Amino acid sequence: MAHVPTAPERGAGGARSRGRIPYAPRPMSPSLNARSALVAASLLLGTPALAQAPQDAAPPAEAAPPAQAQPVITKPPELLQQVEAPYPPEALAEGLTASVRLIITIAADGSVSDVLPTEPAGHGFDEAAIAAVRQFRFSPAEVDGVPAPVQVEYIYHFTLDAPPQEAPGPEQAPVARKATLKGQLISRGSRSRVAGATVRCGDDPEAPEAVSDADGRFSLDVPPGECAVRVVASGYQLYQTKELLQEDETTEVNFFLAPTGGALETVVRSERPKKEVVRRTITRQEAQRTPGTFGDPIRVIQTLPGVARAPFISGQLLVRGSNPGQTATMMDGVGIPLLFHLLGGPSVVNAEFIDQLDFFPGGYGSQYGRAVGGIVEVGTRKGAADTLHGSVKVDLLDAGFFLEAPVKDGISVAAAARRSYIDTLLPAVLPKDEGSTLSVVPKYWDYQLRVDFGAKRDARSEDEAQALAGGARSTGYVMAFGSDDQLRLVTGGPETERDLTVDTHTLFHRIKGDWTYRKGALTSVFTPYVGYDGTSFKFGVAKQDGVGYTVGAREVLGLELSPRLTVRTGLDLVYEHQSFDVEFPAPENFEYVAFPGAESVGELLVEHIGLGSFDGALFVEADLKVGKFIFTPGVRANYQRAGDARNVALDPRLWVAFNATERTQLKGSLGLYSQPGETFRFITLPYGNPDLSYQRAFQSSLGVEHRLTDVFNVDVTGFFNRRFSNIVAPGQIISLPGGGVFQVPYSNDGIGRALGVEVMVKKQRASATDKWSGWLSYTFSQSLDGRAGPLPEGGGGFGGFGPTGDDTAYGLSPFDQTHILTLVSNYVLGNGWELGGRFRYTTGRPTTPLNHTFDQYQVDRNRFSGMYGPYASARMRGFHQLDVRVDKGWRFQSWTLGVYLDVQNLYNAENTEFTFNDYRQRREYEVPGIPILPVVGVKGSF
Amino acid sequence: MKTLLNTGVLLLWGLAAIACVDPEDKPSSVHDLRVLGVSTEQPELLASTCEQTPEAFDELAAEVTYRALLVDPAGEGRPLQYQLWACADQDDRTCANAADRALLAEGTTSAGELTLPIRPGAARVAEDKLLLERVLEEDAYQGLGGIRMPLVLRVAAGGEEVYAQKLMVFWCPVVEGMKANEQPVLPGLRVDDVPWPEGEPLELSGPGPFVVTADDVSDREEAYVVPGLRLQAVNLKEAWEIAWYTTLGEFSLSETGGADFGGQQGRHRVEWEPAAGATAQEVTFWAVVRDGRGGSSWLVRRARWTP
Repeated sequence: MAHVPTAPERGAGGARSRGRIPYAPRPMSPSLNARSALVAASLLLGTPALAQAPQDAAPPAEAAPPAQAQPVITKPPELLQQVEAPYPPEALAEGLTASVRLIITIAADGSVSDVLPTEPAGHGFDEAAIAAVRQFRFSPAEVDGVPAPVQVEYIYHFTLDAPPQEAPGPEQAPVARKATLKGQLISRGSRSRVAGATVRCGDDPEAPEAVSDADGRFSLDVPPGECAVRVVASGYQLYQTKELLQEDETTEVNFFLAPTGGALETVVRSERPKKEVVRRTITRQEAQRTPGTFGDPIRVIQTLPGVARAPFISGQLLVRGSNPGQTATMMDGVGIPLLFHLLGGPSVVNAEFIDQLDFFPGGYGSQYGRAVGGIVEVGTRKGAADTLHGSVKVDLLDAGFFLEAPVKDGISVAAAARRSYIDTLLPAVLPKDEGSTLSVVPKYWDYQLRVDFGAKRDARSEDEAQALAGGARSTGYVMAFGSDDQLRLVTGGPETERDLTVDTHTLFHRIKGDWTYRKGALTSVFTPYVGYDGTSFKFGVAKQDGVGYTVGAREVLGLELSPRLTVRTGLDLVYEHQSFDVEFPAPENFEYVAFPGAESVGELLVEHIGLGSFDGALFVEADLKVGKFIFTPGVRANYQRAGDARNVALDPRLWVAFNATERTQLKGSLGLYSQPGETFRFITLPYGNPDLSYQRAFQSSLGVEHRLTDVFNVDVTGFFNRRFSNIVAPGQIISLPGGGVFQVPYSNDGIGRALGVEVMVKKQRASATDKWSGWLSYTFSQSLDGRAGPLPEGGGGFGGFGPTGDDTAYGLSPFDQTHILTLVSNYVLGNGWELGGRFRYTTGRPTTPLNHTFDQYQVDRNRFSGMYGPYASARMRGFHQLDVRVDKGWRFQSWTLGVYLDVQNLYNAENTEFTFNDYRQRREYEVPGIPILPVVGVKGSF
Repeated sequence: MKTLLNTGVLLLWGLAAIACVDPEDKPSSVHDLRVLGVSTEQPELLASTCEQTPEAFDELAAEVTYRALLVDPAGEGRPLQYQLWACADQDDRTCANAADRALLAEGTTSAGELTLPIRPGAARVAEDKLLLERVLEEDAYQGLGGIRMPLVLRVAAGGEEVYAQKLMVFWCPVVEGMKANEQPVLPGLRVDDVPWPEGEPLELSGPGPFVVTADDVSDREEAYVVPGLRLQAVNLKEAWEIAWYTTLGEFSLSETGGADFGGQQGRHRVEWEPAAGATAQEVTFWAVVRDGRGGSSWLVRRARWTP
């Protein structure tokens, strides 16, 4: 019983089906058929990440840079031994047939470790099918070249044949008459091509059948007459229709297949093997449908363990006690210079363009650097290979589109763009008073474009793709992305206190290439990129125009020396040049010692400041497998040159995993991490500090991950981090040798410490018919922040941010939250309806309580000084909020319409975001957070 | 830059949210014991030389007149206890460090203007050390902003207690062009564009709001020179601020004027609104001007308001 692999199946719903390995159905005995069809496979480990199937452009994870660190089924499982199920006698007696849909877990050695029915068929069919499948034997599947457990969806058909008819004699043999049915199978609602589907007339398993190719095309030769067409495809409902076929004629048809399940999108579960102690992955579907995030992918990260809640909806990433700006966010390996649009608006990453998000709260490998907090890696979406697809989305703030299409075989393109229109709506709602003018013009736009090349559509695995390419293969893509934000605010008039004009303009563009070369055990990924940044700021007579150029490259070389040893090494280089044209009234405390109180108008200073900086890293790491242990030692050597500064930092790291059982993994990590100061901080005194060095951190973690069931996963991780030499503002006052005194604007005095435990319990959908998914995220932690030395003149915030402390220079971080609990749940109601909820609770942030006993009036400043209790000895009230999202979709023949209502703070909880004191520092007032906020959005896709 | 932008975003959100919260106690509404302003005449003392000569110290030890504007509308003329110290550390808001302070005056007074002749430049502290020298020792900027001596006035009555710190500036000509500061003086005030005389109360009626403006002060704002942190001369121009106070209702803004870092100056225009439900009464208004370098003075005006 040989199984004949066919072309990779494609085109399930809006998501191209990756990680699926289809097999042709095979007829059984002529009188009694137990016919099986292995229809889908996906990597299994728990978290519902999209597996990178035998995707031609994706390199093995070992050698891939962050952008390409996608899982690849490099070798699909093949059914080596099949056992026929006995037909249940009662069902046979009653003439019943059934198709039993099963989820089979294939262990790394190819044995069947688990079988679960997804749709019980009853009448003894389930038991018979499960008993038979448990005796199956597969060839081990490989993920990224390593044998790995995978999961496949399997349909076991029990069918009854018609009684055999008497065979005609040779003299009676009619002349063969033939009609041809040709056509294309298209996914209803998305127009994706359905590959790997079986087309036949009637349900006779011996009848001729055709299997659709990668474009969903098929050609079926059958006897003329009426054909009761049956189309069977994984992830789609059985399609039946009737066609009248004329002799010697070809009938051309298009069949639109309806995806199965209540949702509009097919579930593909998978997770690639983790190379880090903790990596949380968010799929595009999760990113778009998590309530309370407005479908913003970056804000979904905030729902994961280890991330403290940022005030309001600012979306800042506060990871394991680190401060804002200490977690790097990258798009396919290239840093995103600006994460959010205006005033904490949507992130510059269009949700439609992402494939998935990987979040590393700590303990990441040597390939990653330039961060002492966590890493967020946005993986972008490769263009569709079957046909043109797209979507248009409109919501409260902006509208955008996404398009993807194949250009020719092996080349595809994806593009997205978005623009806000609040600048056109605001004039209608702004107050209009005589004697005063108020004009606010905010606008933003962003774009992403990606062109892929080198894909081999007919290859099911990397080995096959390489074979097709003649032994070595190159794939790659070119991507461009950028963002533009402008804000102009004009207020004034004779009846206002002052005339005010603010103009800001911030933009960036990045172009990156990606060339992946594979030959045998060698994989090389080269990622060059260039960028342009622009900032413009005008406020009264003050103005600053900044221009930045960036050029960088990464090269990652991976070599599998033996099944037990894989080595990766590479370079990560970036050069930036920033220049600023500045016109400012002489700023106090930079040019002269300010007198407290009214600020005088300084003489206009005109400066041109330019500075280049280079940051390079050489890294090497290896995976060494010893029994059930995997050791990954690595080191990253960093060198920075900025102005006159020369900095070196060596970051050794170690990651150890122990695969206790197939379902349980113990894991630990420790290492050093470095983050260079931003280039502009190195400009000369008094506006910068050319003597800054690397910010450093020690990170360690220890955890266990256990797969409770095929759909439930638990991860518990403890962590302990220390940050040191962090850049804070301001620094100390110094005397210059030639006379003069300055307060250094930045120094490396920042220190911090964080420890805690993170728990993640995730339930994923087992199949399209499984209605419920979600996760529970909990973090228990303590974060300290401060300075290694004394507080500078004027106090200064801890870590460059936060409230001014007293004489103590080290204490609780202003973002410390002891308990952070998030519950996210989504339920597919059916008929296009989907309901989601997110509940959050966090401990209130620390505050320093007022302790007023008498007034302290600073006459010159016309302000009162406060009297306080011990620093950070109190907390704001705990934060709790419920967000709800309802989605409704309508699937039409060629397109799908979706409408959503996302309601933040459903029960209108009065949470406290900040506290401030009255003018005499006698009483504390609470600043409320966002009240109930409903947002409606519409999305059409085809 | 990213960090700065993030911080800016949070700050903007915070300011927007604070604007939605309305504390009960308003700065412009005077209802209990307060010190509304302090001035010294001269506002600063400029020695003729930066050499530490006896003559220079004598110039800095000159007598100045200390004035404090005390209000106590609910006190019904009760006596107010006061002490006036000079001390060395600006962060010592109450001159609590006995070793570094000198008592300049003490006694009993009542609400109104407290006037005291003092010689802070001659004050000595522990070990008979000249306080000016101690102030200089405590100054991280080594006198580049002048020697700024804290003068702390403590006023107490009943259970109320206020400490008011004013910095007295002692200079020497570090860079060319420096000259002693002149006291800022407001030329006059207007209500609904009508001059507001000093002597007699203005008749006002109705719920308001009444637009109160200060006569143009732009020609009185001095251009001046200070030493820069690199010992260069830095040219500045004053941008006066006016703090507004009333015994009834409140002003739309408690402060006007000044300059932001973009050099944009505010105009001195506020709206006064009587308290809802108030009865006819005489109302006192104060406008305290500051020049941003230590100079200050005030105007007092009255009005008879009827609903």
